[in-house]
This record gives sequence, C-alpha cells and structure tokens, in this order.
Amino acid sequence: MSNPARNPARGRRLDDALSQLVDGLTPALPISAIQDEDYSDAEEALASAESRRHHALMERAWRILDTHTSTSAPDPGSPAGLGGRRGSFVGTESINNAPDLIKRKLRRENVSPDKAVRFSNLYSRLLTQPVLSQKWGILFLLYKLSASEEPVDGGERSRSPLMDDAHLHNMLGKGGARPRRGTMIDSEDEGPAVSSSASQQHQRVLPAKMERQSSLRHDINRDGVDQAGRSSTEVPATRVEAGVNERPCDEHVRAGSPRPSSANPSGPPRSSGSVEHRLLRDLPFNLQGLSSSNLQFSSSSSLKLPSNLPAPITSLLNTLAEPCLLYKGLSAFVGSEEGGLVNQSLRAAIAIELRAYLSLVATLEAEIRQALVAIGDGTEPQGVRKGGVTLKRCVVWTRDATMALRLMSLIVEEAQSKRGGQLISLIHGFSTSHGDPFVCAFAEKLLEHVTRPFYDMLRLWIYDGELSDPYKEFFVADPEFRPKTDPRRLATSVWEDKYKLDDDMVPSIINQEFAKKIFLIGKSLNFIRHGCDDSAWVEAYSKKASKELRYGDTATLEISIDEAYKTTMARLISLMNGKFNLFDHLKALKSYLLLGQGDFIALLMESLATNLDRPANSQYRHTLTAQLEHAIRASNAQYDTPEVLRRLDARMLELSHGEIGWDCFTLEYKIDAPVDVVITPWASTQYLKLFNFLWRIKRVEFALNSTWRRCMTGARGVLGNVEDKVGADWKRARCVIAEMIHFVNQLQYYILFEVIESSWEQLLEAIRRPDCTLDDLIEAHTKYLNSITHKGLLGSASSSRYGTSTSTSVKQPEESFLSQLHQILKFMLAYKDAVDGLYSFSVAEFTRRQEINAKIETRTAQGQWGLTERDLLSRQSNTRTGTSMASTPDIRPDSAGVDGVNTPLSLSGSNLAADDNMLASLRVRLRELSAEFRSRLTVLLGDLSYQPDVDMRFLGVVMNFNDVYELPKRRKAAGPSARDKEKEKEREKVKRRAAASAAATGSGTEGFVQKEVRRERRDTGTNGPGSASGTGT
Amino acid sequence: MPPKSQEADDKRQAAREVIDILQEISDLLNTNLDRTELSLCVSLIENGVNPDALATVIKDLRKETGSKRVGNAHAVE
Repeated sequence: MSNPARNPARGRRLDDALSQLVDGLTPALPISAIQDEDYSDAEEALASAESRRHHALMERAWRILDTHTSTSAPDPGSPAGLGGRRGSFVGTESINNAPDLIKRKLRRENVSPDKAVRFSNLYSRLLTQPVLSQKWGILFLLYKLSASEEPVDGGERSRSPLMDDAHLHNMLGKGGARPRRGTMIDSEDEGPAVSSSASQQHQRVLPAKMERQSSLRHDINRDGVDQAGRSSTEVPATRVEAGVNERPCDEHVRAGSPRPSSANPSGPPRSSGSVEHRLLRDLPFNLQGLSSSNLQFSSSSSLKLPSNLPAPITSLLNTLAEPCLLYKGLSAFVGSEEGGLVNQSLRAAIAIELRAYLSLVATLEAEIRQALVAIGDGTEPQGVRKGGVTLKRCVVWTRDATMALRLMSLIVEEAQSKRGGQLISLIHGFSTSHGDPFVCAFAEKLLEHVTRPFYDMLRLWIYDGELSDPYKEFFVADPEFRPKTDPRRLATSVWEDKYKLDDDMVPSIINQEFAKKIFLIGKSLNFIRHGCDDSAWVEAYSKKASKELRYGDTATLEISIDEAYKTTMARLISLMNGKFNLFDHLKALKSYLLLGQGDFIALLMESLATNLDRPANSQYRHTLTAQLEHAIRASNAQYDTPEVLRRLDARMLELSHGEIGWDCFTLEYKIDAPVDVVITPWASTQYLKLFNFLWRIKRVEFALNSTWRRCMTGARGVLGNVEDKVGADWKRARCVIAEMIHFVNQLQYYILFEVIESSWEQLLEAIRRPDCTLDDLIEAHTKYLNSITHKGLLGSASSSRYGTSTSTSVKQPEESFLSQLHQILKFMLAYKDAVDGLYSFSVAEFTRRQEINAKIETRTAQGQWGLTERDLLSRQSNTRTGTSMASTPDIRPDSAGVDGVNTPLSLSGSNLAADDNMLASLRVRLRELSAEFRSRLTVLLGDLSYQPDVDMRFLGVVMNFNDVYELPKRRKAAGPSARDKEKEKEREKVKRRAAASAAATGSGTEGFVQKEVRRERRDTGTNGPGSASGTGT
Repeated sequence: MPPKSQEADDKRQAAREVIDILQEISDLLNTNLDRTELSLCVSLIENGVNPDALATVIKDLRKETGSKRVGNAHAVE
C-alpha cells in the first residue's frame, strides 16, 4: 500500500497483513484528537486522520523491517544466524533456541515448574503440527514480546539464562564431588540439542556473550579457535563447558561452585609442585591397585608411602590409599573362583561396580594428564587454572567411590562364612536397615544382581518342582544323610522326608510363612511328578505358568506364588481324590477295618466262627480267604468297587503256641503309593489295632448272643425239665449275661457311633474344605485316627495331650483302659464258657432223667420194678457220658483241643456225689466270675467318670444310666499317688480273687486265664502287622 | 470436489489447532496479543518477515499508542 516500488520483493499479502496488524494495534482515534479539524465533517476528518496515522505507522514499520533486513549481523540481540529476511534463519538448529529461551525464562520467573512443564507440552504438540514452517520465528516473536514486560535493557535480559545456569549449578549437590561431571549434567539439562554438536552449543553461548561485552569477544573467539585446534580426544561437551564455566569465573563470584576453589589450591603446590605432580601422575595406577615408583604395595593389604613427604600430603595420601587397597582386595575377590552361585553373582555384581570405579579412575587420569600437560606448557594463567587438579581434589572426587568400595569389602568380608540365603539376608539387611541412604541404595543395587541365581532356583522350584541347587544355597534342602528309619517308614519319605525346609537359609526378602508356602509348592510338584507319575501335567503347568521372577517387585512375586500355590494344591488334591481314590480308600478302611459294614462283618464272623475256634496253627490262609470271599459275595460289600475289594485280605497274625484262631485272625487293607502318604504305615498299624479291638468286642458279643440264644431256646425244652435242680442258677446266669450284653452293646455303640462316626464327620469336613492341602489332609487324617484311638479307649498315643497337669495319674488309667477292657472281655468269655458248662450239665441231667424214665417205662412194660438199686449205681458210668458229650460238644474250656469223648476227670468219677460236686463248682465259678465282672466294671466306670473327655464320661453314664453300679467315691483333692495306690490295692484284691476262683474251677480255667494273659501281653507288645505272617501256610 | 473441500477443512482445522497452541503459549508468556493479532503475526512470519524486526515493530507501535491505549483499553480488547 505504501510504496511498493521501494521493495519489489515485498508481497502484497505482507502489506495487507501488516496493515491489518497496525490497525489492530492502533486504537481508534478519539474525537479529542481531531478537535482542531473541521467539526462538521467529523467522520471524514477522523477517517483521514486515521489513515494518515496509519500510513505513518506503516512507513515506520517497514522502515524497521527493512533495517533488520539490510543490517543483519551487528544488531544486538538477534541470533547470529538471522541474516536474511527470507528463510535463511530457519536452520534446524535454531529451532531449539527460542524454546530454550522461553523455558528458561519461565523457569526463572516462576517458582514452581508448572509453567515450564506446560510450555514443554505445548511445544512438543506444536512440533507435531505440519502446518507451520517457521515455528522458531513465531516462538521467538512471542518470546520477544513477552520480554517487553520487563525492563527494556536487552543485555540484562539475555544474560539471565546463564545466571540461571549458575543457580542450577549451585543447587546440585553432586557438583561438589565431581565438578566436571556435574557441569556436564547441567549442560545437558539446558536443552536437548546440546550434545548434538559443540559448535551449536557455542553458537548459543555467543549471542549472550556478544551482547555483554564486546571486549570479551576476542577472548571467546580465541577459545573457539582453541577448541577447533585441539585434538578431539576428549568429549566435546566437557571442553565446551570448560569454556562456559570460565567466563562466570571472571564475571561474578559463584559461591559453592568448584571452579573458584580450583584457583586457591593451585597456589601451594607451586612449592612442592614437582612431588605432587609425580604423585598425581602415579595416582591412577595406584587407584587400580598397581604399585608405582612412589607408592608401593608391600603386601596385598598395605601400601608403603614415601617417608620424605610433608605432613599434609602424607595425610592426603593416607586417605587416597584406602580406595587403592580396597580395590586391590576386591579385585582379588572378583578374580577368585570358589563359592556357590549366589557368591558368584555377588562377585559379578561387584565386578560391575569395580568397572564403574575404573571408569572414574580413567576420567581422573585424563584430567590429571591434561593438567600435567597444561602445567608443563608454561606460565600461562589459563594453564594454571586448567591444571587445577590436585591431590586434594582427587580425594574429593574419589570419596563416593571409596564409600562404595568400603561397603563392598565389608560385604565380601562378611560373606566369607555365609552362603546362599544368608548372604542375601546380609545384603538385604544393609539395604533395609542401614541409616545411610547411600548404603541403602548401593546395597539395593547389589541385591538385584545377587538375588538372580536365587530367583532362578526359586522359579525352577515353584514351577517345575525341581531342586537345582548344586551348592546348597536354597532354603529347601535335599537331605543326603537320611536318618535310619525302619523300612516301614521309608514309604512316607517321598512326601515327608525327601526335602527339608532349612530355616536358616531363608533369605530375609521372604518371610517365614511365604517360605513355607514355597516349600510346599515345590514339594507338591515334585510329588506329583515322582509320586503320582503325572509329570506331563507338571511340564504343561510349568510351560504355562512359568515367568521371570526378579528382585524388587514383591507384589508380583507374591501374586505369582499364591497362584502357583493354589494351582498346585488343587491339582494335588484332585489327583488324590480322582486318580488315586484316596477318599474311597478312607471309606473302605472305615467300613471294613472299623466294622462300618455291619452285614459283612456279621456274615464273616458267622462263617468263620467254627473255624476260628480251632487252634491258631490249624488255620489255613485259603480257608480264611475263601470265607472272606464268601462274606463279600453274600453281603452288600459286593457292590463295592473291585479296586477296593482287591485290597482286602484276611490273614493270621504271627503264630504263637496255644492260641486259637480268634486271637490271630485279622483283616488287612493294603495301601500302596502314593496314597500311603496320607494313610501312613503308622496309620495302618492304628487301623489294625482298632480292628483287633473291635473284632474282639464283636466276638464277645457274638459268643454272648449265641449263648443267650441257646438259653432261650433251651428254656422251652431241656431246661424247663431240670428247673427244679438248676432253675435258680439259670435265672442268675441270665441276669448276668443280660448285663454283659448290655455292656458290650453300649461299648460298641459308643465306639462305632459316638467315636468313629463323629470323627469321620470331622475328617470329611476337613477334606472337603476348598483350600485343603495335602498337608492338611494328612493332618486331618492323623487327628481322626488319634481321636478314635483315644476315645475308643485304646489310645496311649494321644494321652499325652491330656497329661499336662497330672501326667502320671491321668496317663496311668488311660493306658489301663485297654487292659481293663481286655480283662472284662475275658471274664465275659469265661463266664460264657461257664454258662455253657451249666447248659451241658443241665442237658446231661435232662438226658439222665429221660433215660431213667424210659427205662422205667420199659421195665414197667416188662412187668418188672421200674427202678432198681443197681440202676442207681450204674447208670452214669454206662450211658451218661456219651449222650451228654454228644449234645454239647466242645464247649467246655479245657476241651478245646481234645476230642469230646475224653471226659474230664472230675466227671468221669461218675457218681452222684461227683455230679453234685460238679454242679457246686460250676455255681461257685459262675458266682465268682459275675462278681469279678462287676467289680472290674465298677473300676472301669469309676475311671471313666473322671475322664477329661466328655465323650468318655458319656460312655460311663450310658453304661450306668440307672446307677446300678455303685461307683467308688473319689475325692478330687486326693493326690494322684493316693488314688493310684487305692486303685492298685483294689486291683490286687481283684486279682487274688480271680486266682482263687481259677484254682477252684480247676486246671482248665486256669489254662484259659493264663492264655488270656499271654495274649494280652502279645497284643500290647507286638501288635505290628509287619511282624505278623500268615499262619495258614 | 468433495475431497478437495475435505482437505481444505482439514487444513483449516490444523491451522486452528496451531493457533490454539500458540495462543496458549502467548498467554503463558503474557504477550498481550489477541487471537487475530497472533494469526496476523503468524502469517507475516510465515511469509518471511524477520520475527525480531516484527517484535520491534509491535513494541514500537505499542509504545506509540501506549498513552492512548490506557485511556480506552476497551476499544482494543
């Protein structure tokens, strides 16, 4: 619009835009401005005034623009590259300058970095926009405009970024320790393009510089030339920094920055300069643990200092000697070979640290060399400042490194006696409980390397179930030395003894509970693989779930371990239940060995009864198994799975002389791996013990029942006829038998229902819990067995649980429960035999009467006297024995192994007197036995009523529900010893009475009692299934 | 025709976005430029005007009109 001829290059669009801009910036002229003009034409006048002013402003604007265009370089404040009006300033490197300027300005003017951050975001967004080609220019414009708010002194403004630099420099703590590195970091912080090229950095520095003092420009140029001239062995950034830092030194004092301090120490060394220089020259070698001409390593742990040095230097050297010696020791450690995996990884971690240390030494060496060269150059003041590397500064620079070395050597020293987890615990202790943050951070860093083999082992363990630990460093140990267990226990070792958890080796990064979990996972996997033959699953699982474990992310580790734990346990339980039918086995054990399957047991007992009455050595295995087979076939047991029935076996316990089949017979349920982990050999023994006990009770019940049956049927026929003679006896006998039957029934009911069933319920509950582990299962099963044996009056195993307060007094009766019961059962059998004797006597009496009657009838028919004196004398000797024996074979106790024809001597006397004598003795025996039974029972009930266990007290109440038996009153206060003595006395009395009665009833009974005693001894002594063998063969 | 207008639309959209960003930066820096002024400046610089010179011009103009500007600021804003 103005004069396009003046600059044809100027486009019309530019004019338009500029004029619009001018319009926008200039406010409308107020009316007052044209007061002097013609008022009538106010509008027009205003417009013309405006346009005039517009023209003037435009003119001026163009002039400014053109000035810029023509005189480019000398204009202060414009970047050096901004030569041309069009495009020439748009070099890629320039783009970074304006944003940097803005950023710095924002950082300076605002306390919080928010705005700078926001600007950075916006800037990065702007960079992604393709529309603009002159982004830098716009930003620069904005920057300029924003600066206009400030005082207009350009120099002040432009210098401020550098001042900012200085601030930053002071704030950084590290700057003190390693000055050069510190400044390097600073410069990197200033802009992203710094490291790209040294020249650019220089360029940025230049404008600020030029603005400041033109007199200095020469200096800078010289610096630049100097840079270009030097060989480029060093990192350029460092060198440029040297140039940058130099200037502030001249301009203003910067407290705390390392540079000024460099000027001071450079004074003193002048005197002893040559010595220090020599020391400095050697220092890098010493720091690497090598001897030099001045400092020599006299041994691996001592450094010899020259003696002719001034004291300050000696003390400095003393300080410097520490890293030298430490490095030497550590490098020796790194070079050594022995130790486990964790040790080796510690070595590797230390080697990495030492490498960092060596790189520090290398930098130091470069510095020293440069300084020495500069000093060697001459007396140039620049050289003095450059060569400001002194021993003191070396001490400062190596301080951090010395700390690290010290810590490492401490760790190495302590690690000598430790291995694996202990070593990790040691370092972990440093990282968690050391007050110095430097030590913490360093130990943490080491830990990451050191734990690597540990985590590898852990991973292998929890995902594969394999222990790969050649140096015994893991906290799961594979005990080589197995304690010598008897062969029966060896079967369980797969689960229990194959691996051990070593608490000492658990590193402190893992807590105890967690370690237990990990141990269980690996053990389960191992067991699944080797015990259950399911390695395919384990492999698939490890392929699927295996993931890297690392130190640091504890949360992930915990999650993955929990996951592994759940998966493994679920798998193991499902294997146990599904593949190995653990549950079925438990059920089978309960129904067969614990007499749960009533019909089967009843049938077995019935079919075996005649067999088992015979002596033990006439029992044959095939008959037993045949009977067993028969019992299974005929009872509901036939519907059980063949898998279960296959394992059921009948056999005889070990043969001993004089025993009858009842004592030796046993059922057996065979358990094989891997179910024997739960049903251990110990458990099998317990089961057998239980079975024997229950079987005995059952047998007594069976015997009593058959006697009762005989009595009842006989009462209608045979016994009714002889009622006048033995009626009273029978009445008494029936009472006693009923009492006994009641006792046996109650006992059975109690054991089968109250004890076994309730324990079974608890077991089921434990098994069916969702988070049940194999260990839980084993524990539940053990508890189940313990509670059965304890409450089932068998146990001595669990009695110690109650023996805390009065151990002896409680333990004694409990142990004696079994023997008491055995005694009682024995008396019942004896009584039953006596009743059988009474029965046979009654039958004999009956037959005699029948015969006499028959004879009388025939004689009467023949016309003779019905009864002669001769008959009275001879009848017994002739006839009685045969008939009586025929009717009651084999029931008298002493006739067990003898043929029925051999009548006992006492009876073969065969006269009426002898007959009466026998009846009398029978009566005595019956009375004795019943009294004995009662007294025993009373003792038992007395013991029961003072049991701590509710169920056992309940048994006592059930048996004595209507207070038939008078219990001996026992005072709670009485001491255990007194009580025991009392009981002992009572027992003594009982025994004496028993002996007397046995003597009274003759040798047969005596033998029976003896046999019972012997059997009892055997029961308590050698009741192991393993020691038994089939007697049938 | 449609694709062309679409393209133009896109371009305009992009330009607006750029101006938005620049506006924010300018607010951050307190330049006192409004949107139209900003876009004018952008177009000038895009056409090759020296940003430094332009800054001088703007400052100059502001100084020139500064006294009046205070008086009737509402006219500008």
